[in-house]
Amino acid sequence: QLDHGYALHTAATDCLSSVVSQDVPSLAERTKAVFYTSENDPANHADHHEGRHYSIPLEEVKAVFPHGLPHRFQQQIKTFNEACLMVRKPALELFAYLKSTNFAHPAVRYVIYGEKGTGKTMTLCHVVHYCATTFLLLTAHLWVKNCRELMQSSYNKERLDQPLQASSWLKNFKTSNERFLKEIKTQKKYVWGTRESTEEGRPLGEVVEQGLARVRNASDAVGVVLKEIKQQCHLGSFRLLVAVDGVNALWGRTTLKKEDKSPVSPEELTLVHNLRKMMMNDWSGGAVVTTLSQTGSVFKPSSAYLPQELLGKEGFDALDPFVPIPVPNYSPREFESCYRYYLDRKWLQHDK
Amino acid sequence: RLTQVRWSRYNPSYIEPEVSKELYEKPWEELSEEEKEKLELKAVRPVKAAPATVSSSVFSDPMISKFTNMMMKDGNKVLARSLMAQTLEAIKRTQLEKYHKAPEDEKEKIECNPYIIFHQALKNCQPIIGLSSITKGGKTYQVPVPLKDNRKRFLAMKWLITECRENKNRRMLMPEKLSQELLQAFNNEGPIIKKKHVLHKMAEANRAYAHFRWW
Repeated sequence: QLDHGYALHTAATDCLSSVVSQDVPSLAERTKAVFYTSENDPANHADHHEGRHYSIPLEEVKAVFPHGLPHRFQQQIKTFNEACLMVRKPALELFAYLKSTNFAHPAVRYVIYGEKGTGKTMTLCHVVHYCATTFLLLTAHLWVKNCRELMQSSYNKERLDQPLQASSWLKNFKTSNERFLKEIKTQKKYVWGTRESTEEGRPLGEVVEQGLARVRNASDAVGVVLKEIKQQCHLGSFRLLVAVDGVNALWGRTTLKKEDKSPVSPEELTLVHNLRKMMMNDWSGGAVVTTLSQTGSVFKPSSAYLPQELLGKEGFDALDPFVPIPVPNYSPREFESCYRYYLDRKWLQHDK
Repeated sequence: RLTQVRWSRYNPSYIEPEVSKELYEKPWEELSEEEKEKLELKAVRPVKAAPATVSSSVFSDPMISKFTNMMMKDGNKVLARSLMAQTLEAIKRTQLEKYHKAPEDEKEKIECNPYIIFHQALKNCQPIIGLSSITKGGKTYQVPVPLKDNRKRFLAMKWLITECRENKNRRMLMPEKLSQELLQAFNNEGPIIKKKHVLHKMAEANRAYAHFRWW
């Protein structure tokens, strides 16, 4: 009822003003401008854009987020035929921090936390889109509930591999970071098997191809890629952004079991091991943005949302000096802009 | 044909509950005479308890609740309700996709409200006459007979649900299949409409026996 009153009031004032100034089509545009911006470049988002939606063209969506969008949002994109994100305060805060990072210092870690369903993953996507337009190299990960195939590692005897997920990650890495793959060169020789090896000085694209072609060594390829990027990052030719969704999965317990039914702890998985090395503070020239996610964490109560509880003691110590960014629920203004957006897209169909 | 089988434990002086909010919001002068009598009676007589499925919210619909009750298996109302919600959402999504991709002039013709689609599809599925078997002189004949409203609604919903449960492809979920069937019924095509037409033709073929009916 409050919303109807407010909408009627604004409509009435708009009608009056339009009758006075005699421009009829601007009525619809003005009501639309309250929740919608045509400012498609996230680098230019400022405080006065807060609460408004901006749309991302479909080609960019496929290029920037090959695997990183939540299922609901993907359905929404399919239904409305376009992707619209809302500009909110935590995202703007992160932009300010990222703009003022000093790249000579070690990487600063940001942890986005908040209760279930407040929009942490969406803020992460917003930040990722922003960085894509300002030439940062991306690595984004999304495996919270690991499953499917397990194999013994070829490089290190005690560890276990995940060939399927590693190969899909390599594919996505290729699509999102094409231009950098040709520029970065390897600095060491890597031997994959009896006949294949990668020499020094070859572009990273070859390592990625190798991983995609040989699925058995895919997770090792992932490890190699991450190590190379980390070493070369502080030379300054490119900047690195590591965006991880559901970072609490790296330190909790997994639901997987070995062949003799004994549970697997995350250190034994190569992918998790490599990721943990990335999260360490010992490289400079970039930033790390992560989100905690309660929906994917197993063996934890569903009302826990603080970093301390979800990360566990190990995780908290590993990530220790980090910048926490809380994400609150929608404020009344944001709620109303969301409501108007849905009305505009005809998502709310019931009469009353 | 009517037999009194069910009885209730209430005293006959108890009155049925009135659920719709709009009736209570009207001022005294606008009410018609019957409604005024009813209100006065309510002040004096006791009222029966309202059943749990009937609610005075804007979003509840007696037809939808009847349909969910028919879809329910082993008393699992939670599952039936969630399936119904997913069906309505699936209908809305498919219609919205079509709406956003269509050019301007066709946009007004596409119906997006899933409730309207549901009601219209049910109406399209309801048969007008049905057949009942009557024994006369040792032989049973299929006699065309006019159906009551309740029976028509029941037949439409029953056909819809059995169609969805039997003719599925492997791995297709119930909400998806139901949304497809509802959209087809909305456009007067699909297997349920065919069943209705077959029934009508049978009734038309057995027209000669219509005088066997005595009610």
